Amino acid sequence: MSRVRMLGPIEQLQPVLRSVQDLGLVHLVETQETGALKILGLTPEQARHVRGVRKIAEDVHAAIDLLGTAPQGAGTTLDLTLPRAALIAGRTRRQLEALDAKRRDLEEESALILKFQPFFSTFRRISESGLDLDGIRVFYLVLRDGSEQEVRRVRLALRESLGDVFELLSQASESGEAAMILAVPKEHGTQAERLLSEAGVQSLTLPDQFEGESVGATVQRMQTRLTALPDDLTAVEAERERIARERGADLMRIRAYVEDHLATVEAMEKAAVTPRAFVLEGWIPRAAQSQLERQLDKSFGGVVEVEALSSEDWLGESAPVVLNNPRIFRPFEAITRMMPLPKYGTVDPTPFVAVFFPMFFGITLGDIGYGVILATISLVLRLRSAPNSKMRSISEIGIACSLFTIIFGFLYGELFGDLGHRIGLHPIIFNREEAVFPFLGLALALGVVHVVLGLFVGAVKMFRRNKRHALGRGMAGLMVVLIAFALMAATGMLPDRFFTPLVITTLVALPVLVIAEGALAPVELVSTLGNVLSYARIMAVGTASVMMAVVANRMTNAFGGVVVGVICALLFHLVNFVLGVFSPTIHMLRLHYVEFFGKFFSPGGSQYQPFRHWSPRENAVEERSA
Amino acid sequence: METYALYLSAAMAIAIPALATGWAQSRIGPAAAATLAEKPELSVTVVLLIAIPETVAILGFVVSVLILMQGGG
Repeated sequence: MSRVRMLGPIEQLQPVLRSVQDLGLVHLVETQETGALKILGLTPEQARHVRGVRKIAEDVHAAIDLLGTAPQGAGTTLDLTLPRAALIAGRTRRQLEALDAKRRDLEEESALILKFQPFFSTFRRISESGLDLDGIRVFYLVLRDGSEQEVRRVRLALRESLGDVFELLSQASESGEAAMILAVPKEHGTQAERLLSEAGVQSLTLPDQFEGESVGATVQRMQTRLTALPDDLTAVEAERERIARERGADLMRIRAYVEDHLATVEAMEKAAVTPRAFVLEGWIPRAAQSQLERQLDKSFGGVVEVEALSSEDWLGESAPVVLNNPRIFRPFEAITRMMPLPKYGTVDPTPFVAVFFPMFFGITLGDIGYGVILATISLVLRLRSAPNSKMRSISEIGIACSLFTIIFGFLYGELFGDLGHRIGLHPIIFNREEAVFPFLGLALALGVVHVVLGLFVGAVKMFRRNKRHALGRGMAGLMVVLIAFALMAATGMLPDRFFTPLVITTLVALPVLVIAEGALAPVELVSTLGNVLSYARIMAVGTASVMMAVVANRMTNAFGGVVVGVICALLFHLVNFVLGVFSPTIHMLRLHYVEFFGKFFSPGGSQYQPFRHWSPRENAVEERSA
Repeated sequence: METYALYLSAAMAIAIPALATGWAQSRIGPAAAATLAEKPELSVTVVLLIAIPETVAILGFVVSVLILMQGGG
């Protein structure tokens, strides 16, 4: 990144901002006030105008959200006056809010009727059995446990409290609950209500629109409303579509215009001015600096000056960060972005993630069958996802993981577990069902490589700033390698004669490490060795996955009938596939974030957000990455 | 007797760390859910916090397998 300063006559500030916005490459920052240079604030009139534009933006965003699918529309030019735009945005928002409220009311009414209808049908049958409801208070009750004992218990409790002055009729409803009508003289109403509440018996209150009608009429009206509700909902939807058709394009243009306008105001507030000149400061990718100079020179014929500040002038300030990787690594930026962005000038771990994440995933899952299923799902997701969306990144990561899963499936000779062995596939490196030690060795070796790589990357990046710490970091990496080799020599994987020299070299390296990194360095070294051991999870999760696949295959003969066995096996494979994708993902993320990133990653970078024209897609991407 | 001891120690090597992991995750889980409700942007930290105790169970599993293999089980 380059830090640039733009200077020019004050009357050219707005045209320069427009030109910078057209270019869309400068991340503007607030200019420092010095001497006569003051931050350009807004006049009271401008502030009032901005408040008005913000209100339009709020209305138009709400209206577009209420329309659901965003209508098509492009461009930031507006052929309407701002008052007219405010009127359209405000009125459309109010209409859509009213329609939305109506839709919610209708849906709620439908849900209420569907909830109450079975009970009231039962109440009607009860009331038709001859109960005279005149001059008495009626409770419509629902007993969740509709058994006869429960009904009897309620009846006894009522008799104890009220004597014989009540009538209780009950009938089981279709859902297994008991619908009951309790009729008591009005003077006993409050007492009965308290009793029912204490006994936890639910009393149904009629929805407002059915208040004051008889049970029979209520049921009849409920039926009529249920028939009419779909038509009412269709009418609401048709009205919403009409508004979208008639005003959708206008709303999109208004939104783009006001967002652009507000961005310009925000940019203006970052400028500093003297009575005659303005100063704007910002960050721009180094390669694009000449483009900015050419653009301003072409538009303003040399009256606007662009100067690059030397790094000494902005040392200590945090430059914005943009992750910029080759196309093949770009999907993996999604994994890096799940952590705070790296500080400017530190290492972007995305290329390492792109290599190790799918490889570790493949080593863990390692099955041709599961790999093919994952590849198919990932390809379908990729076809259905929008370019640059998060789903597109996930699908492409899925494709990379599935390729490694298939490759390691061949190396292990696994196709849906041991089914591969039965049809003639043979393990090329080892059979994971039996070779637990070789698999553990492979996992720990990968751990050594990954952790040592992290330490060396950290050492290289630190070399310019702090050579002593860089030496310590490198020495720690070297000692991990030495200890790993010494252990191999001790366990017979390397010739015995290497053991003593390796141990002596390690002991010699230890004081160097302590001098470079301090007294706590040996503790740190033990923690790093613990990090390496953590890679045993590759073997543990992988072995668990293959053993579950083997168990699934054995189910085919375990249930008597072949059909039942095959169905059970397929279901078990499905469960294993889901676990086999989810579990390695979580564990590989952890290995990267904790064990690997911990060795060199410096979080705390701020996102590069150039001042540019507003567009729905860019906005969505920014919201996702924020 | 030796075989019993072998299997018992292998079982304990995985069972005790697994119980410990379960206990730790039972404490982290509700706190994580509450954290996510207030700050969804901390999802990565939460996933890491939940995954960290699993190391104990995984190492227990490895030790258990080592006991079985070394004992010829």
